[in-house]
Amino acid sequence: MTLLTSPLADVLRSRPGTRQELNQMSVLTQVPDPKPAETLGLADLSYLTRFGVKGPQSASWLSAQSIPIPEQPNTWAALPEGGLIARLGRSEFLIEDGPDSQTVPRLAAACNSPPAQVYPVLRQDAAIALCGQATQNLLRQTCSFNFQSLNLTEHPVILTTMVGVTVTVIPQPKSHHPIYRIWCDNTFAPYLWQTLAEITTELGGTIIGTQDFIPYTGQMP
Amino acid sequence: MKIMTCPINGPRPISEFITAGAVKPMPNPQTADDLTWADYVFNHDSVPGVKREWWCHTPSNTWFIAERHTRTDEIVRTYLWEAA
Amino acid sequence: MPLRLLKFGLVKSYPESRMFRQRDRLRPTYDAVIIGGGGHGLATAYYLAKDHGINNVAVLERGYLGGGNTGRNTTIIRSNYLTPAGVKFYDQSLRLWQALSETLDLNLFYTNRGHFTLAHTEASLRTLRWRAEVNKHYGIDSEVVDPQTVQAACPHMDLDCGGAPVMGALYHAPGSIARHDAVAWGYGREADRQGVEIHQQTEVTGIRVEGGRVTGVETIRGAIATPKVICAVAGFTPRILDWVGLRSPLKIHPLQAMVSEPMKAWLDPIIVSSSLHVYVSQTARGELVMGASLDPYELHSTRSTLDFAEGLAARMLDLFPFLSQAKVVRQWAGMADMTPDFAPIMGKTDIEGFYLDAGWGTWGFKATPICGKTMAETVARDRNHELIREFSLDRFSKYALVGEKGAASVGH
Ligand SMILES: Cc1cc2nc3c(=O)[nH]c(=O)nc-3n(C[C@H](O)[C@H](O)[C@H](O)COP(=O)(O)OP(=O)(O)OC[C@H]3O[C@@H](n4cnc5c(N)ncnc54)[C@H](O)[C@@H]3O)c2cc1C
Repeated sequence: MTLLTSPLADVLRSRPGTRQELNQMSVLTQVPDPKPAETLGLADLSYLTRFGVKGPQSASWLSAQSIPIPEQPNTWAALPEGGLIARLGRSEFLIEDGPDSQTVPRLAAACNSPPAQVYPVLRQDAAIALCGQATQNLLRQTCSFNFQSLNLTEHPVILTTMVGVTVTVIPQPKSHHPIYRIWCDNTFAPYLWQTLAEITTELGGTIIGTQDFIPYTGQMP
Repeated sequence: MKIMTCPINGPRPISEFITAGAVKPMPNPQTADDLTWADYVFNHDSVPGVKREWWCHTPSNTWFIAERHTRTDEIVRTYLWEAA
Repeated sequence: MPLRLLKFGLVKSYPESRMFRQRDRLRPTYDAVIIGGGGHGLATAYYLAKDHGINNVAVLERGYLGGGNTGRNTTIIRSNYLTPAGVKFYDQSLRLWQALSETLDLNLFYTNRGHFTLAHTEASLRTLRWRAEVNKHYGIDSEVVDPQTVQAACPHMDLDCGGAPVMGALYHAPGSIARHDAVAWGYGREADRQGVEIHQQTEVTGIRVEGGRVTGVETIRGAIATPKVICAVAGFTPRILDWVGLRSPLKIHPLQAMVSEPMKAWLDPIIVSSSLHVYVSQTARGELVMGASLDPYELHSTRSTLDFAEGLAARMLDLFPFLSQAKVVRQWAGMADMTPDFAPIMGKTDIEGFYLDAGWGTWGFKATPICGKTMAETVARDRNHELIREFSLDRFSKYALVGEKGAASVGH
């Protein structure tokens, strides 16, 4: 089987740490010193499997596959087996598996010959995560959107730009500080990552592996 | 920073938007004569005032209408096409 | 010269006469009325009097002389355009420029600097090669040069450009700059000497048209009868066309610019990068004059924005990292009257006696002399000058656009 590559593989190649093959992708799972991530941590979660679908019938089709549908555009919901579904507009959805769930392969198979007005969308995003106390500081430097104004219990999805790159952002309330999930088009990923990595280092944080990230997520959706 | 309100995504900096220009009715391309068509394609009512324009919130690809004063840059109203 | 200067220090009253006479009254009739006291309007007045002996002319300006785009522009003068019509036209302008300080007997600080358009990608390098070939074909001094040549002409440039390295450039040796308001004053003074009347603070508020021909204008200082009206009002054109019921494709966008504090002379050539959306030159006074692309949406206003200054400063630093401590001292905007084909709209219109000089967008300063010359002849003979035939307003209804876009991608 061919190995997949993260859009961030090149910029992460020289990072020391443990690597593991997950979802057919070589993934940085642990770095030697993940401690500074309590201040600010940046992780590449592109290995999580993803599925997109749009079209007027996409919501009812997803329901038929027993996927819970967030009612409002620009909100998200946790999937029962792990992972999440984000409603990106009135009729477009992004579904992403958690580390252990298998929802995406199931949906992709079911969507092989989709019914009318249901269109699969290829999602080859870079998926990034931010954790730690200084996330707000980083966001203030990179976005014109005020994340502190959000009520996280409403499960908002924010479509905005970050250092000029179009991104989808989901803040998730966790034990101490919210974590931020960020998706962007893979062609802009190295630029976005390098910029975020520079700021992360400036603020005393670090790049971490996917395992290092788990304590910040509680149980990752 | 100038703020525009996307009917779906709420108030955002103007840098998140692009415009496709004035909302103008298209004459029937099958029946319109060349002059009418040229007028539609090229000419533009650019006397300053409150104009209806197509705008798009690019991160979400949301197209909508904005009523904007082209001299003062005041954004009077924004709404989805369907709500017009 | 030093003796002449000494006079200014020694005598009590200012020893030079004013640049032009202050007229206290409008006459009831003129042979021609020019709306707009920018470079184009004043040059037209000058050549009407000088070349055609028509001097019973009034130039009406709502504000002060050169206070429109003429006094707001970044003064790049060049002729490396793309269409036969454009190249011929701008080339003639360049020739007039070269003798203009003498013609107007005023130092216009016209200096020949050379003009580099940088390419940061293979694709833009290809476009530049194409432009160079077209230019050469029309006899314009234009060539593609390698990064080392750019570096030699501009040792302070960081060729790496923040990760978008300079791969080559289009070099246009005749590229020049000039002192913009001196151009307005020079034409104004000479027109005044020929008998033309210049009225500042005189806004035109209407145009009288009877039976399809112009009979006069209304102003805030009263009405004037005249058979010929020349409209050279740049960003104000759509409002005036509306009075006479003419439709046009003009769209008004602000074009912004800024200058740095004066510094020691270090930048000789004019540098343009369309990929970075920045252009810069250094004036005789040592200030860096910097500009970028048009504001992204229609607006009839000369407000300036922090977004612009921030963005432009960032891209300037990509080119010249050593400027990180330099201060920006002024920022402003003008209203650019844009056409879909990046060529002007000039000449006669469907209304007899109503002549238009507009659509000069971001590139009309360099055309000031030739616009004056060709508009004057067009008005005097009531026939479009041969050099401006392709620029007439009716080209849009004939689908005969000019297609100058490739040569005017960054505002100047
Ligand atoms: C920031 C900026 C940078 C530029 N850089 C360059 C460059 O590098 N090279 C280049 O070639 N071109 C450049 N341009 C374009 C150039 O400035 C213009 O095309 C040119 O100056 C137009 O001259 P004008 O005389 O037609 O218009 P203006 O100088 O604008 O004159 C029009 C005059 O009409 C007056 N007016 C308007 N309405 C009325 C009325 N109702 N009654 C009486 N008077 C009225 C106005 O007050 C104004 O003074 C630039 C423009 C801007 C804004």
